[in-house]
Amino acid sequence: MAALRANNWRGYLFVAPATLYLALFAFFPMVFAGYMSLHRWHLLKEDHPFVGLANFTTILADPFFRNAIYNTLIYVAFSVPLGVVTSLAVAALVAQRLRGVGVFRTLYYIPAIGSKVAISMVWIWILLPEVGLINASLKWLGGEGTTNFLAEPGWAMAALVAMSLGIGLGPRMIIFLAGIQSVPQTYYEAAALDGCTAWKRFRHVTLPLLAPTTLFVVITTTIASFQLFTEVYMMTRGGPRRTTDVVLYHIYKEAWQKFEVGMASAMSYVLFAMILIVALLQFRIMRRGLGEGATA
Amino acid sequence: MRIVRPTIIYALLVLIALAMVVPLVWMVFTSLHPPHAQIPTMSNLFRPDGWHFENYREVLTYGELPIWRFAVNSFVVTAGVVLFQLVLCSLAAFGFSRLQFRGRDALFFVFLLTMMIPAQVLIVPLFTLVQKLGWLDTYWGLIIPYPYLSTAFGTFLLRQFFITLPRSLDDAARLDGCGDLRLFWHVILPSAKPALATVAAFAFIWTWTDFYWPLLATSSTTMRTLEVGLSVFKDSYGGMRWPLQMAAAIIVLVPVLVFFLAMQRFFVRGVILSGLKG
Amino acid sequence: MRVVRMRAVRLILGSVAVVSLVGGCADDEQAVTTVLRVANWGGAQVESEFMRLERTIWEEFETTHPGVRVQVEQIPGRGQYAPKLLMMHVAGSVPDVIQLDASSAAVFIDNGVLLDLAPFVERDQKQKEFDLGNYFVKVLDVARRGDAIYTIPLDFTPMVMYYNKKLFDEAGVAYPQPGWSWDDFLETAGKLTVFPEGTRSPTRYGMFFENVMPFWVLWLWTNGGDVLSPDGKRASGYFDGPKSVEALEFLVDLMTKQRVVPHPRESSAAGVDLFRSGRAAMDLKGHWKMIDYGADGMDFGVVGLPTNGVERVTVVYASGLSVARRAKHPELAWGYIKHMTSFGVQVRRVASGLAISGNKAAAAHFAGTPVEDAFLEEVQYARPPWGATVERYPFIEELGREMMEDILYSDGELSVEEALRQTAKLIDAALAEP
Repeated sequence: MAALRANNWRGYLFVAPATLYLALFAFFPMVFAGYMSLHRWHLLKEDHPFVGLANFTTILADPFFRNAIYNTLIYVAFSVPLGVVTSLAVAALVAQRLRGVGVFRTLYYIPAIGSKVAISMVWIWILLPEVGLINASLKWLGGEGTTNFLAEPGWAMAALVAMSLGIGLGPRMIIFLAGIQSVPQTYYEAAALDGCTAWKRFRHVTLPLLAPTTLFVVITTTIASFQLFTEVYMMTRGGPRRTTDVVLYHIYKEAWQKFEVGMASAMSYVLFAMILIVALLQFRIMRRGLGEGATA
Repeated sequence: MRIVRPTIIYALLVLIALAMVVPLVWMVFTSLHPPHAQIPTMSNLFRPDGWHFENYREVLTYGELPIWRFAVNSFVVTAGVVLFQLVLCSLAAFGFSRLQFRGRDALFFVFLLTMMIPAQVLIVPLFTLVQKLGWLDTYWGLIIPYPYLSTAFGTFLLRQFFITLPRSLDDAARLDGCGDLRLFWHVILPSAKPALATVAAFAFIWTWTDFYWPLLATSSTTMRTLEVGLSVFKDSYGGMRWPLQMAAAIIVLVPVLVFFLAMQRFFVRGVILSGLKG
Repeated sequence: MRVVRMRAVRLILGSVAVVSLVGGCADDEQAVTTVLRVANWGGAQVESEFMRLERTIWEEFETTHPGVRVQVEQIPGRGQYAPKLLMMHVAGSVPDVIQLDASSAAVFIDNGVLLDLAPFVERDQKQKEFDLGNYFVKVLDVARRGDAIYTIPLDFTPMVMYYNKKLFDEAGVAYPQPGWSWDDFLETAGKLTVFPEGTRSPTRYGMFFENVMPFWVLWLWTNGGDVLSPDGKRASGYFDGPKSVEALEFLVDLMTKQRVVPHPRESSAAGVDLFRSGRAAMDLKGHWKMIDYGADGMDFGVVGLPTNGVERVTVVYASGLSVARRAKHPELAWGYIKHMTSFGVQVRRVASGLAISGNKAAAAHFAGTPVEDAFLEEVQYARPPWGATVERYPFIEELGREMMEDILYSDGELSVEEALRQTAKLIDAALAEP
């Protein structure tokens, strides 16, 4: 049978469009961002003097930017573990062989594809004092119900984390579900023979086998959570008292409200570095913790 | 034990489902309250002062913020991106999976690398680039420089799928004298319809619900997409007129919901394909 | 099933293609007519009666200019107008006519976004088609730089204190008189606040409050304080000066100690304007609110702001029409401006109560009612806002808003003085950047 022919040049033709596209709209901008970050660049003004690393030193010393980094890290630190755990739990739930489970699965996926803008609008109501869903429920249960969650410094961030659980649930749940369902029945049968309860089965059979999946979900969730923007733009504008000013929103303000795109490019690179470091760290830690099988 | 466990599970499932359904129900009912009403409380949510279906009409016909125009823009842009990505990714995936050439695997690895670059790094220079091209505030600027790197993802997905197609197909076609292009068009692509549909479905949702890039790439009202247009609507109502805000939100949510319900199988498949090979 | 799904996909893609073709065709139609794009900061909040009038006026312009279509683009969102419009300028898609707000005039003028109208004015003045003398000097000066004129006044308003006559009558309180003091104000507000025993917050307040610096800066001014030095270059010593500190402490105490003004926690729960809904007896606002109050049928009065030992003062917020430097149809845009600022159009436009017309004759047409006369009287005491001359002022207003939030939500931990001092430093840093 004819093996793959060594069609040298035609292969290049097929991949050329996509390669060209990525070169122009992914690699070139990345390099250009580096270039811009070394200049003082204002969108409305004509000259862009070279300033070397001055932008970087400025932003790293800027308390507002550091605050943005801090806020972002807090958000990541909470929303990732919570998000992974909850989606794993939900996946375990919908993995049950019960009638109608598919309906719930579909329902749970919906927030993931809904309009973040619309979801934000509803959450504004949910968090309102007195008449919002949470406060109205608290009042019904006998509480005060006066907390204006979006206006209280700690609570606003908590609200954003809570939102991320619902919005990010869909894809994570599906991935975990696939992982759970790919565990061979024979393992469960063996464990049952040994007298394991359902919970023990889950802990000692399913979870370890889910290690690579979990790693994947953790890393992708982390990367995604660094990109928080729409909810902040719609609901808090970085407030209250700058507690939800995350890096991507801060970059937005710098680039398109102050029009300082040189500074904004420097900030983007700092953000990129952060994401890389965190993702690498997670990879290392989880690999060590879960054993070599995790990265198979 | 046999009865308790399923009951507990159902209870949990319903509880979680409630968390998602309650806000939706509130949205729908609020949107039917009188336009100037205060935010409905638990007592009068289901009993508004009349059923104001005309809220929807008002939102849809508000001349200065043309929601129908936003919808058209979203359609055009999304269709453009989907088609563009399908073409780019399927061609490249074919090259990576079916053809041999020097540096093939290295190049593929580079493709994968681009998936690691988060969008934020690119957006600022991309904006400047698009501005220099004169594409700001045009359909081109929304369709072509789509910074979400779905190109790499789509190529990856399709390549994984193409690899699973049996070689016998190729051999049969080549015996018939098919060149690469015909092999691609008449044999591989038709067999890959599910995978293509998956890529299309993902690209559709990503593009349709994207906010950041259209926010920047469009500035005049007539070029806004639905997602951005909805945020403009919200700004325009200030913190007031909740019924109208909710009507607008529902108008934006419905198409995506319908599309998703029709296409869910592809989403699930796509997520799995990307996850397990990850 | 798979086949059905494929058909569905093809159907969807097909209809999308059709729609986009149709959309494209519609655009071709428009290519035949000239589209004049006008930007303003309107929003869906504005009463529809007024919007209907606006649309009639635009249609009139279209009738006198056949082949022209006026396309109005609203850019709502507090603090969003200037950045969004600047983005359009950057993108090369800026509208032809820009409605200019005095509070952000400097941003546009000093960044070269606007066209100097002086040549148009001179030319048409000679041909007696336009007379600059028709317009209030104070408002014209807002957007002048030397000989260059960047905007023609559309309308303007001083900020005043509205009061709900019915609530005052019910409480048996005398209406405020011009030249009243802060002490008078405090007393009046106290008498109008209804705070029943055992409730958490008043059911009715003396005055409404929104954390909008363009509004609350007046408390600084009516105490003799200010945000910046007279040359507009420095905030330290002024924003954190004793008069400003005293003024803001007074304002904050109204909310936290005397409880005659709602704390933002209390007002956000309602989701409505408390003055409009009768839950506040006074409000510091401008002329434009009359449209809403009139639609509600409120019996209101208007009086100048209370002062604390200084001359009467207020701010004038003006809007004018300008032509973008990158406008596609500058001549047509100028024609539109002349139409909108003419006596005939102005008289109808401000009949709604929107503002005082920038056209002197039109403004005089409405004088004679107590409310209108109260407004007109305030004009002599009015100062232009800082945004007319200081480019970074919108950013300063952002800082001010955040600062106010900090103060109010810190529940006493952050003192007014400390907050002002920190913010003054931030303002200085922002002003110092090249």
